[in-house]
Amino acid sequence: MNRTLLILLFSTGLFLLSCQKSPDEDLRTGTVKITFKNTVKGNPLVLNTGVYSNSFGEQYNVAKFKYYISNVVMNGTQISAGSSEYYLVDEGNAASLSFSFTAKSQIYSSLSFLLGVDSARNVSGAQTGALDPLNDMFWTWNSGYIMAKLEGTSPQSTVVNNKVEYHIGGFAGTNSVLKNINLTVPSSINVPLNVDPDKTCEIFIEADLDTWWQGAYDLKIAVNPAATHPGALAKNISDNYSNMFKITDVKLY
Amino acid sequence: MKLRIILFFLITILCSAIFISACKNNDVPGDNVPYNPTYINLEVPAGWPTPPDIYVNNKLTEEGFQLGKKLFYDGRLSKDGNFPCASCHQQFAAFATYDHDFSHGFNNTFTTRNAPGLFNLAWMTKLHWDGGINHIEVQPLAPITAQNEMAETVENVLNKLKADGDYPRMFQSAFGTTEINSQKLLKALAQFMGTIVSSNAKYDKVKRGEASFTAPEQNGYNLFKAKCETCHKEPLFTDNSFRNNGMAVNTFLNDYGRMRISNDKNDSLKFKVPSLRNVILTFPYMHDGRFYSIGQAIDHYRTGIITTQPTLDPLLINRIAITNTEKNDLIYFLQTLTDTTMTRSPRFAQ
Repeated sequence: MNRTLLILLFSTGLFLLSCQKSPDEDLRTGTVKITFKNTVKGNPLVLNTGVYSNSFGEQYNVAKFKYYISNVVMNGTQISAGSSEYYLVDEGNAASLSFSFTAKSQIYSSLSFLLGVDSARNVSGAQTGALDPLNDMFWTWNSGYIMAKLEGTSPQSTVVNNKVEYHIGGFAGTNSVLKNINLTVPSSINVPLNVDPDKTCEIFIEADLDTWWQGAYDLKIAVNPAATHPGALAKNISDNYSNMFKITDVKLY
Repeated sequence: MKLRIILFFLITILCSAIFISACKNNDVPGDNVPYNPTYINLEVPAGWPTPPDIYVNNKLTEEGFQLGKKLFYDGRLSKDGNFPCASCHQQFAAFATYDHDFSHGFNNTFTTRNAPGLFNLAWMTKLHWDGGINHIEVQPLAPITAQNEMAETVENVLNKLKADGDYPRMFQSAFGTTEINSQKLLKALAQFMGTIVSSNAKYDKVKRGEASFTAPEQNGYNLFKAKCETCHKEPLFTDNSFRNNGMAVNTFLNDYGRMRISNDKNDSLKFKVPSLRNVILTFPYMHDGRFYSIGQAIDHYRTGIITTQPTLDPLLINRIAITNTEKNDLIYFLQTLTDTTMTRSPRFAQ
């Protein structure tokens, strides 16, 4: 009977082993968590009730603020399946402000991502998850994703109900709004992007939406209250907002 | 002893089965129905160009096709239940709207463009008159959500389908799980619409040596090859390009076509060259259905083209010289492009 039990245990063990991925000691991993803080010039963004003014003295409030982050790379290389995913950061949905992925344990020096959805996913038919058209970030009349969306009102806006409405998209040609964002840890933050095995490296990124109106181009609300299709204006706004991100903190735990 | 050995083998097999099933992660949660779809292929008629693989991420199955067909004919895809896809895309009209310049939408509205026939879509690189749609899967989002068409939200459509007695099972048969989401809805519709192939008109039979043109048809074909073929390229009878064919802009619609998509003033008044297959059934003609008869459409090319438009297609700057006899012959030829095999096929019918 003992022998039978032994064989039984052995065969069970074999099947258990066959379920596991072959262990590789050199590939220890930790977690990278990226947390976005949407702000106006460093002050936390408060949807609807917060009243802000841009550098032209134009007042505005914000009802919606959403953007796609995809193709996250660190040290210039793709990190894991999770980092290659598509994420919709939506100020109106607290859970969407952070996402995590597995990364090989090492000290990284840079973090890059695409602000938007790469052109391939704009032309490959129906998508799901963050890219589901139900998320209201897909144009039905001119196939393609709205890469970033800012909606609100401003007394300086001349369009209906003083709307401010920027639906920024366009993935092809000279008016592509796709932006590669490259971030490094500022020297004032004395914490490396160190991914220790089985630990988390949380990177806090501030997105200052006030950059949408200035930087590469001066774009007054009074002149450009709306940008709702691909074109030169959308491209110019994207040139501005490509400067909205910076790393403000790194926490290791 | 014998009993022990038998028992030992039984337990081993049982344990193995449990662990093997634990390894699998493609089990359908909550579903015990096996997923055994019948794979099918897009029919590519002999001599036709190879279409771009629109099904590379949407493996064609009989179950997916049947689900897509049910959805195509289901009014619940519209807000009030009255406007299935098929309300504007009628099989007997080669899936265009018969005898309507503009189709009717929710709450007594009109569409702003003439509904095109739906066939050979797998060969279309861009959809809609302005080419704004870049993949067949995302096309239905436009009519479903347009206030002057089906006027519904995709979310509501999905909720209606989830509450239905048949759909969860049909989604399971087509895609392996009872989950109903927008991606599966759109992929199923693409399986139906993209496999409607029109390739059995008299013209096709002549090309295959199974029939022959009458003398007027042959004359019309010769004329077609000499004067129409560049844009209406065989065998699809379109080159999928966007061109301005010299019509005055409709001042109600102010529809400048392709320019809205490309933002390029050189694309002003350019519209997609429509296929001439089934052209007799798809009247009225042009993006706004302004010509009710095929004769009027031909007359436009003979005498109606506004030759001063800056974006007019260079091929049309001298209009097209066609005599009355030639016009009649041309119409005889165009009639050979009507494919009743497709328009009467039970496979595509409700």
